Formats: sequence, structure tokens, C-alpha cells
Amino acid sequence: MMAEIKRTINLAGAFIVLVLVLAGGRSSAQSIADLRINEILVINDSNYVDDYGKRSGWIEIFNTAYNTVDIGGLYLTNDMTNPTKYPIPTGDPITKIAPRNYILFFADGLPTRGIQHLNFTLTETNYLALFAGNGKTMIDALKYGEQTPDVSYGRINDGHAEWGFLDKTTPAANNFTGEIVTSGDKFLLLDPYGVAMAFIAMSVVFGALILLYIVFKNTKQLYSINFKTLFSKKGKEPAPVKATKEDISGEVNAAIALSLHLYVSELHDHEDAVLTIKKVARTYSPWSSKIYGLRNLSK
Amino acid sequence: MDKTGNIYSFITEHLREFYTYTAFYNMTLGHIVMIAIGLFFIYLSISKEYEPLLLIPIGFGMLVGNIAFTSGLTIGIYESGSVLNYLYFGVMQGVYPPLIFLGIGAMTDFSALISNPKLMLIGAAAQFGIFGAYTAALLLGFSPAEAGAIGIIGGADGPTAIFLTSKLAPDLMGAVAISAYSYMALVPVIQPPIMRLLTTSRERVIRMKPPRSVSKLEKIMFPIIGLLLTTFIVPSGLPLLGMLFFGNLLKESGVTKRLADTAKGPMIDIVTILLGLTVGASTQATTFLSSQSLKIFALGAGSFIVATLAGVLFVKFFNLFLKEGNKINPLIGNSGVSAVPDSARVSHIIGLEYDKTNYLLMHAMGPNVAGVIGSAVAAGILLGFLS
Repeated sequence: MMAEIKRTINLAGAFIVLVLVLAGGRSSAQSIADLRINEILVINDSNYVDDYGKRSGWIEIFNTAYNTVDIGGLYLTNDMTNPTKYPIPTGDPITKIAPRNYILFFADGLPTRGIQHLNFTLTETNYLALFAGNGKTMIDALKYGEQTPDVSYGRINDGHAEWGFLDKTTPAANNFTGEIVTSGDKFLLLDPYGVAMAFIAMSVVFGALILLYIVFKNTKQLYSINFKTLFSKKGKEPAPVKATKEDISGEVNAAIALSLHLYVSELHDHEDAVLTIKKVARTYSPWSSKIYGLRNLSK
Repeated sequence: MDKTGNIYSFITEHLREFYTYTAFYNMTLGHIVMIAIGLFFIYLSISKEYEPLLLIPIGFGMLVGNIAFTSGLTIGIYESGSVLNYLYFGVMQGVYPPLIFLGIGAMTDFSALISNPKLMLIGAAAQFGIFGAYTAALLLGFSPAEAGAIGIIGGADGPTAIFLTSKLAPDLMGAVAISAYSYMALVPVIQPPIMRLLTTSRERVIRMKPPRSVSKLEKIMFPIIGLLLTTFIVPSGLPLLGMLFFGNLLKESGVTKRLADTAKGPMIDIVTILLGLTVGASTQATTFLSSQSLKIFALGAGSFIVATLAGVLFVKFFNLFLKEGNKINPLIGNSGVSAVPDSARVSHIIGLEYDKTNYLLMHAMGPNVAGVIGSAVAAGILLGFLS
């Protein structure tokens, strides 16, 4: 009876652990912590139009992760005292944000128009926050000051910490609209023929291999130190050091090894011309049975 | 009668439609050219035995990639969701090259290098080819990132070239990979004339000291110290250098024989098959045949020549500072390019032509494996600066 109870407890424990692991795995796989409020437009006079042809303030959320994140089940709010003001519905394909992609919400106070339409506007307060499904964990929040009509306020680069008024409104698009200068382009400006690159790179390649050369040239002696003898207790006579000839070439070693091998395994060197007949024991196997090797004639 | 007529037109209409799906209908001259090149690769690998382990998968991949088809069937290597596209993922994302390096590490014996560490410098000198091609590519109007991807062909290291191209210029993948592997296969053709041209008959018969025997401890310490020193200097080379030295530690530790056997056996074989086939298939005539590809081929040849030249000339220069008896045979200078072990074999064969008893193979393996390290370091630098 006791054993059965114990087994039941163990099973329940294992089940709980499994559920916790799965739940943990799910939450980390979703990585809702990677979501960021990326850009907002508070006063929309002549800017982006929603799917009803109306203009309203909007909020852009950016998925900074390299995997899809479902924003369904999370909360958006403009009220510090009510973190669960707008629950984002679950189970809708719209709420699944592709890697490094965006979702827009319209802050028009008209939630009956669809799941992207919030039950508040951005002009009511100067606060906006995104909360996790438990309604307690804040994922991202923003306090904004006075806003200009049709000028959006957002992160200068998608997902980065620095905020400011953007030159262009970029709903569901990259916030940075300037020319991207790669490090390669910078190199080309300063080094159009690649001479500096060749000089720097060859210096580094030579530097790395010279370093290896110096290390391996000088550490050869280190390997031959017998640390056991070096740190042996006082009083004990150190073992007599055998004179070893260093730098024996591989060719010499190969010659010694070959002669030893020939000595040990080349039995024909010592043939004495005596023939012997040795009985070879063969274990029985049905595969080698004589019966199967004969043709059975019909009687 | 009507019914028969309907069936007849139904059949002919569908047969005609079926014909539009076939390669006969969609074939262009470009496809035929690429198939011919693929067949030539297969011929070279079977009859001349030029890198058959690489050229057969690549050559056959070229046939696979150039069977013309109607787009939209999700079968082409560039159509996302196709099987070939999934296999090509390992090339585009640089997954296969580090795995190949793991296998190379597990099968490489660095003893020659450890016993005579000064040979490492030859491996560094041969990397001049990379930067010669980089400069030439810039002059031909390629962007710095593209020039970096083209230049690495001069490293004579297929996996490194693929890895760097996947990061810097994925659009050039087919041309760079084919160029790198083709020239690696042609090492026995490209290098000997340059080696003969730059050396005197006296230099070609220089006998080098036989390498000393290397202890097990030294062999174990080499990948550990090698990794720490090289990647501390160039962390961007970590995927390649990390796997190379890890594979070597598996081999030298002596206690992970099974892992080393897998890395240098079944695993590298599988990755080579996938890499070769998909790189070959990536040469679809529609994307591959362009003047840009021809330029890349020309630059690749140039970088190989410069690398060989730099290696041989560096040994001659180095000999000026070495005592008589310690001099290096300049015929091993070519093996600084990391086409392992082909370029070392070339050194050996050319050496034997001038002295039948002068075996250079073991000596040439030193700069050869140093070339692998050198080209990975160079790739790391290019990646760090240009990505």
C-alpha cells in the first residue's frame, strides 16, 4: 500500500516537473521578452489610415527575436493602475509576429473594429505599456511628452534604447531611414585600392603565426621537464636521470620501429623447413553442414 | 464520334502541357554549357583523378542544378521550401565549412609543424594571394565585401571560401565556391611551372634536416595553445579555427578515438557530399552564367598564382638569414596555400624530379597545415573588417 502511494507521488512529481519544463520551454520559446514598443504616433491628422479608412494614433510593436513570437494573451495599457486594460486576443494568426517584424495597433478606442483596435487612445494619458499574460510582468513601457501632429516618436534604430522624433513615420517598417554605411564602404572610402587592408591583414596573419612559432620554438624544453622528480619530497633520492638523446629524427625512429616490427612479426625469418600438420578445429554451423551441400534425390 | 474527338484533343492538350514542364522545353544554351562543364569536371575527376572526392559531387551537382524546369514546382535550389534549398541552407549559413574543418583537424598530423615551427611563416606568406585578388577585385569594381569573398579563393581552402562568402557576399556563392574548388583541383597543373620558374637548379636539391620526433604531450598541447593564441587575436575566425583545433585534440588526446574516427570519417564524408552536391547545383545557368562569374574565375586564378609566387619567394628570402645546413628547399614554398595535401604532394613530386632521394613531403606538410591556419585567420580578419 505504502509503495503504491510512493509510486503515485513520484509519478505526480514527475508529471509536475514535466509540465513545468514544458511551460518553461514554451515561455522561453515564445520569448515575449523580445517584444518592444518601437514607434508611436499620438496625433494623426494626415498620416497612416487604418483598414476602415480612418486616422487614429497607432502603436508599433517590434519583435527583436529571430523566431516568431505570439503577442496574443498579452496586455496593452495606457493606465498605470490598470495593466490589463486591453487584452490582446489569442489564437489569431495576426498576433504571430514574424522574426524581426512588426505589428500595428490602432489606438482609436474602438475595440469592436478588430483585434488591432484598442479600447483607449494615446491622447488620454502620456503613458503606454505592454504587460505579460500574468498582468504583472512589464515587458516594455514608455512615457512620452508633448507630441507634434503627424510626427512619430520612436526608437532611432529598431529595438535599440535611444528614442526620439523620427524624420519619417514608418508604420510596420524600419525606423532608420538614412543611408546605411557598412564598414566595407568606410574601408573603400579610405582605402580604395586595398593596400591598407593587405598591410593590416598580412601583419595580423604574420603576427599570429609568428606568435605560434615563438611559443612552439621555446616551449619544447618545457615538455621534457619531469615534474614528478622536480617536486619529489626531500630526503628521497631523486631517480637517476637517464641520458636521453634529444632531437632524434622521425626517420631514425621509423627505422627502429620497422626493425622491431620485422623482428616480432616476420616469422619467416626463422623457418627451419620442417613441415607440420596442424589439426584445425572448425565449429559446426548449419551453413557449412554437409546435408545442405548435397542434392536430395526423390525416392 | 464527338466523344472520340474530345478525348483526342484532351490527350494532345495535356501531352503538350506536359511537354512544357520538361527540361527539353525549358532548356537554354546556358544550361547546356553548364551541363558540359559538369561533365568535364566528372571526366577530370575520374580519368585524371583531380580531387575526385570534390569534383564528382560538384560535377554531378552541376548536372542536377542545370536540369531546366518550370519555376513554381518547388524543386530548384533557390526556391525556398524545396529539398535542395534545405540542403543548401548549410552552405548559405556557413554550417558545413566548420564541420569540414572538424574533420580536417581530426585527420591532420601537425607534427611536421611542431618539429619545425619556422615553417609556419611560409603558411603566412602564401596568404598574399588573398589580398592581391582583393585589390584586383576592387579595381574591377566589386564592392569591398565582394572583393573579400573573391580574394579568399587565393587561400586555396574551399570550406573557408564558402564560409566567408556566405557571410560577405552570398550572391557570389556559386562562382566563388566553384572557382575555389576548381583551382584546388588544378594545383598540380598551376603550381609546378611557377615553382620551376622561380627556383634555381641548386635550390631545388637543398636537403632539409629530417624532422625531430614530437612527443604526445606536444601534440596534445598544440591544438589548445593554437586555439587560444589565434582566436584571441582573431575571434571572428572562431568557427573555423575552433573546429579545426577541436578535431585535432580529438585525434591527439588518444582517448576519444571513436569521436575522432567519426569526425574524420563518416561525418566529413556526409558533409562533403552535401556541400559538393549543393555547391554544384547552385550553378544554375540562370544565376551563374554572367560576366561577373568570369571575372571571379580570372581573379581566382590570379590569386592562386600570387599565393604560390609569394610562398616560393618568401622561402628564398628567408634562406638569406639561415645558416648552411638549416636552409629550406624553396620547392615547399608553394605548399603555404592550404590545399591539403595536394600542394605538399606537388612539392614532393617536383623535388623528386631533381633528386630521386630527396623526400620533401613531410617538410611540405608543415607550411601546408600552417596555410590552413593562416587562411582561416585571414578569413577572420576580412570578416571582422568587412561584415
